[in-house]
Amino acid sequence: MFRFGAIAAGGLALSACAGPLSALQPEGPAARGIGTLWWVMLAAGTAIFLVVASVLMLAFVRPAWLRRFGEARLILWGGLVVPLVILSGLVTAALALGERVLVVGRGEALRIEAVARQWTWRFRYPGGYETDDLLHLPAGRDVDIVLTSEDVIHGFWVPRLGGKLDAIPGHVNVIRLRADRPGTYGGVCAEYCGIGHAPMRFSVEAHEPDAFARIVGPSDDTRQDTAPDGEGGQ
Amino acid sequence: MRPRSILLLGAGFTVWAAAFVALYAMLSVGCRFGWHEIALGSLGGVSLQRLQLAAIFLVHLAAGAAVVAVLRRWKDRGFLYTLAYFAAVAALGASVFSFAGIFFLSTCQ
Repeated sequence: MFRFGAIAAGGLALSACAGPLSALQPEGPAARGIGTLWWVMLAAGTAIFLVVASVLMLAFVRPAWLRRFGEARLILWGGLVVPLVILSGLVTAALALGERVLVVGRGEALRIEAVARQWTWRFRYPGGYETDDLLHLPAGRDVDIVLTSEDVIHGFWVPRLGGKLDAIPGHVNVIRLRADRPGTYGGVCAEYCGIGHAPMRFSVEAHEPDAFARIVGPSDDTRQDTAPDGEGGQ
Repeated sequence: MRPRSILLLGAGFTVWAAAFVALYAMLSVGCRFGWHEIALGSLGGVSLQRLQLAAIFLVHLAAGAAVVAVLRRWKDRGFLYTLAYFAAVAALGASVFSFAGIFFLSTCQ
């Protein structure tokens, strides 16, 4: 009964996890992978908690059962074997996902430059058109956001579309995003960068490809830039 | 020589920490210099980046194994030594678990 109540309460609490910055409402392949990993971790964490709580309860109501099981065995299984198995699974899942999300393949993608400075984002499109704190994307295709900074380290994060990557002065990082469909999403600076860090937000608007082309003007998508070096992972 | 220091407890994990710092630093240095794009034909196309990371990893693995070997000889001298020995074994296992990724993960974007 208590467990049912806890699950119901948790469901109610989680149903409030909506909005422009909700990583639990993914709208692209990268964010979907991250969301899936989050749900897996939530389930595993809940299972571990319930098992530990059950053993603790047993210690009070059926101490003889635990004594029969043996202290050494309890520590070996509960403290070493089970955590190792669970952690190995989570590490494997996280590494596989990191390869998918953070490592930009050689495939052709539209390139949009993002330059961060205290405390604003400037986006530059292939035709030279620029926007401040508003990123236009064509829906349904891969876009490489080419990140750099003019002053300190900032972090680029659009929770509903993908992972986080730092914008570092003197260094170029690339993150690949794809919005499944047209819509408006929120983006934030995810690395403390001074007094204006918290309000350093931007909007992401995904449009149908022809609408996108109308907004950012003519562009040649086929520019052959050499992919810059970036560092995978954080 | 009979060191009787509580610091022995951290001997194994000190090697682990040194490996962590060295690998993290040299990963960034290698990406910056484009070592991941230098394929070594003599080694079946392994990149210079992966080679240097593997070398750093193996050096620290050897150091960790040496710490284990030394502590193993002392492990009957008392509780501290036994504990230090098992901590070093755990550190060696942790090194393999933590750093094995250098052999198969992408080194740079």
